Amino acid sequence: MENDDLVLIADLKNEKTRELAFQTLVKKYQERLYWHIRKIVMDHDDADDILQNTFIKIWRSIDKFREESSLYTWLYRIATNESLTFINSNKRRSLVPMNDTSEFLMNNLESDEYFDGDEIQLRLQEAILKLPEKQRIVFNLKYFEEMKYEEMSQILETSVGALKASFHHAAKKVEEYLKKID
Amino acid sequence: MKELENIAPELSKIKKENPFRVPDNYFEDFSARLQMKLDTEKVEAPKKQSKVIQILKPALTMAAGFALLFTLAYWPLKLITPGQQANNSNIEIDINEMLFANMVEGIDQNSFFALLDEPNNPAQLSDEDMAVIVNSNSSEYDIYSETVK
Repeated sequence: MENDDLVLIADLKNEKTRELAFQTLVKKYQERLYWHIRKIVMDHDDADDILQNTFIKIWRSIDKFREESSLYTWLYRIATNESLTFINSNKRRSLVPMNDTSEFLMNNLESDEYFDGDEIQLRLQEAILKLPEKQRIVFNLKYFEEMKYEEMSQILETSVGALKASFHHAAKKVEEYLKKID
Repeated sequence: MKELENIAPELSKIKKENPFRVPDNYFEDFSARLQMKLDTEKVEAPKKQSKVIQILKPALTMAAGFALLFTLAYWPLKLITPGQQANNSNIEIDINEMLFANMVEGIDQNSFFALLDEPNNPAQLSDEDMAVIVNSNSSEYDIYSETVK
């Protein structure tokens, strides 16, 4: 674990320094967590809500952090779980019946005013959205964030071997989809 | 990313860029907005229950459950057999009344009046007892004929 993070954790667990340390934590990780969440839920407003909820959850449960994993992977895990909970609860609440998650997320992407991608980028996002949930997260973490499998393993609580296989299948599926629409 | 080139050559040709953007100053303002939300959450957070209630909660829940079960079982029974229930609760009263009625019926009219006229009679009968005695020993006609005399 980074030395900075060790100091940060100690400050977060100390009532006197907690508020200031939390502000430092937010500043340090807000962008990385935001982009991770945004790639899962697509829409900016949803990502903003989830990011706030993620930090609120972190604030409330900082005492429960047992330091078995790094602070960074713990934060990613909370953000991932919050994002998936959001998607599932929205699917249940939706008045329009949806065949799968990708349809809901494609609607999110198409209605998002903060998407600036060209045609190729839109097709790529479409292809990624066709992937099963877990494969999609693995693909995003590896392809866009270039995260190491070891770190990913701690976040998703999955073995490195399974993650490698997952990325392999995901990349193949994206490739096939891109070839098909050409 | 040699791995990607082998698995997905078309995909590896696409320029890796972030097609998403955020509103202006989003990350600069985020911390302040989060703080506001945290303050609101603190205000709206429900008060913690006292420790006693927290400890007793399982026992209270169980007691409430038993009470509910008893009510659900008792009331239908009471509705189905109302007479039975009423008899059970009045058994003792009924026995006392029966003994008193038997004793009253056993006294003939002359002995009764003689008993009343006795100067040292310890028995103090109330109007209600008197009415029971008269009803037991006299017909309605007897009572009527006595009152019109």
